[in-house]
Amino acid sequence: MAKLAVTIDDQTYDIELSLSPQCGAVCFVTIDGTRIPITVPDLENPALELEWIIVDGRPYELTVEENLQWIKAYSGLHRVKIHDHEAAVVPIRSSDGRVKAPIPGLITQILVEEGQEVTLDQPLLVLEAMKMENEIRAPLDGHIETLSVEQGQTVAQNDILVSINR
Amino acid sequence: MFKKILIANRGEIGVRIVRTCREMGIATVALYDISDRGSLHVRLADECVQLDSPKDLSDPQKVIAIAQETGADAVHPGYGFLAEEAEFIRACEEADITFIGPPAEVVETLRTKIETLKIAHAAGFQTPVHSTVSYGDENLADIEAEAERLGYPVIIKSCSGGRGRGERLAGSPRQLARAVHQARAVGQAIYGNNQVYLEKAILPAYQVGVQIVADKHGNIIHLGEREGSVLQNGHKIVEEAPSLCLNQDLREQLWRTSLELGKLFNYENLGTVEFIVDSEGQFFFSEIKARIQVEHPLTEMQTRIDLVQEQIQIAAGEKLSRDQDSVRLEGWAMMCRVRANDPWRNFLPTPGKLKRVRLPGGPEVRVDTYIYCNCEVPAAYVPMLAKLTVWAENRDKCLQRLRRALEDFTIIGPPTNLPLLQRIVHMREYVTGEYTTDFRVSMLDDDPIEDPDDHLADLAAAAAVLYMHRNQTINPQISERMQGGWHKSSRRLPQ
Repeated sequence: MAKLAVTIDDQTYDIELSLSPQCGAVCFVTIDGTRIPITVPDLENPALELEWIIVDGRPYELTVEENLQWIKAYSGLHRVKIHDHEAAVVPIRSSDGRVKAPIPGLITQILVEEGQEVTLDQPLLVLEAMKMENEIRAPLDGHIETLSVEQGQTVAQNDILVSINR
Repeated sequence: MFKKILIANRGEIGVRIVRTCREMGIATVALYDISDRGSLHVRLADECVQLDSPKDLSDPQKVIAIAQETGADAVHPGYGFLAEEAEFIRACEEADITFIGPPAEVVETLRTKIETLKIAHAAGFQTPVHSTVSYGDENLADIEAEAERLGYPVIIKSCSGGRGRGERLAGSPRQLARAVHQARAVGQAIYGNNQVYLEKAILPAYQVGVQIVADKHGNIIHLGEREGSVLQNGHKIVEEAPSLCLNQDLREQLWRTSLELGKLFNYENLGTVEFIVDSEGQFFFSEIKARIQVEHPLTEMQTRIDLVQEQIQIAAGEKLSRDQDSVRLEGWAMMCRVRANDPWRNFLPTPGKLKRVRLPGGPEVRVDTYIYCNCEVPAAYVPMLAKLTVWAENRDKCLQRLRRALEDFTIIGPPTNLPLLQRIVHMREYVTGEYTTDFRVSMLDDDPIEDPDDHLADLAAAAAVLYMHRNQTINPQISERMQGGWHKSSRRLPQ
């Protein structure tokens, strides 16, 4: 059993649910005190994605953003915020200052120098991949400790590009 | 007619060409590198040849050698890669293989951007104000003087760039040096050429292209225009036909001008005459795209003409399948480009395995794509996954159809720009048609689309279910089934 406060756009709903494989593909959730039947693809082998759901006779085609911050349904796209009353741990932002290449590509521009102070989300360099220029940004505030690539260099996925030290 | 066509391309346009060839009874040869082996263009072709590297698709000698080995009598270049390379077209001629596209000398002229503008300007056509020379390394002072002469804002363009790459806007003298530096850096890194030229920017503007078709016998017709003013990082993502920024008078003027420009450049085969239209309805010729374009399905939906078939017939020496009077431009068409870009993370490309794919269907809905469930999106190519094109009698109905088709379109796996497209077709500027190239859309700072309350509650339930699923998958606890003893009893022998 989980107790969650789920906010969609600016509406917050108190939801209680318990998903056990025993109930097959149909189970009940409680939304603001009302018990509602839902049908999902598979409760026995829960997946990381949810492609569709039927809530009280209303079917939805869904696309959910990786971090569960947005949900897209037939009606449009909505912001999501979930507060889990039982999970006390708040996810913390990574303190890893190593910036890796998210995809293989070509370094077309370097926008910072070693020793320079940078702030969160500041563009560090431009990586050309799949015929697109992609800005690679600072994951945290700090100074550039090492700059491991140069302009015109080809990089593989996960190559370290820049290290930032707080 | 040709017996066998080598398709010097891949992805959705590869699939598009294979399909028409099959309908015409022409055999096809597909090319692929190992990362692209499962793409649909390979699976659908009659023969396929593996390349050593994705770069081989841009290598004229390698492609011609394969055409000879496989006995192909023609090559279709699609768009990108070798589509507008005069050297390749000449090499095809020498090897006695027909290139499906315009002749080498036409392509050569049109690829030199400043030259093209000069010829058109000299013939009396209105062109954007631009620098008459290009600039190399050491003359920032000259560039500054030229920018002053043209007047800000100016666009700095790489002489070798194209398709939105190597272009930078400078709104004031203060931004010029940086913009020049960036355009050069991109030109140098990608094309090994740091020459740039300047063009006076027209803002706000509309990008309109007129489809022309010309055969080897001097016949030339137009098939109406398309507009692509919704850009994402310089790439067109939503397009429509006809264009909203033209009244009927202007439209017909634009068509006539396009035919005149086609004749001026001795154009042959399928091409697009591109214009920038300003907010006062003045239009400026910018270039001729000497190839089939990504957005050609818009025209196909409006005219019901198979443009790839037309290209092949023209290359084989046949006359145009119809004259101008028998061309009907009917209804409205809209197209979206579905791309493997993460709209939440600065449009970072997202190659990888697609876990689920479900394409929309229904009347007047067309999807051009190479993807399918469980396929790999290779990192070596452009991130375009699919083109969704819809048609209806008028713009209102067309928009409703596009919305519904986008809602029906599901890709699960790496993030795509589908949510962004869905947002665009609900935005006021798009709905009313009052958008220009200034139209910007972001997933991060826009208000959510309005929705009735009970749907929101249902979506909250969906989010909660997925949250629980993920928690169970990531932190598997002993399942209730194990605790309940059902697990053990299921192993019990029948009694």
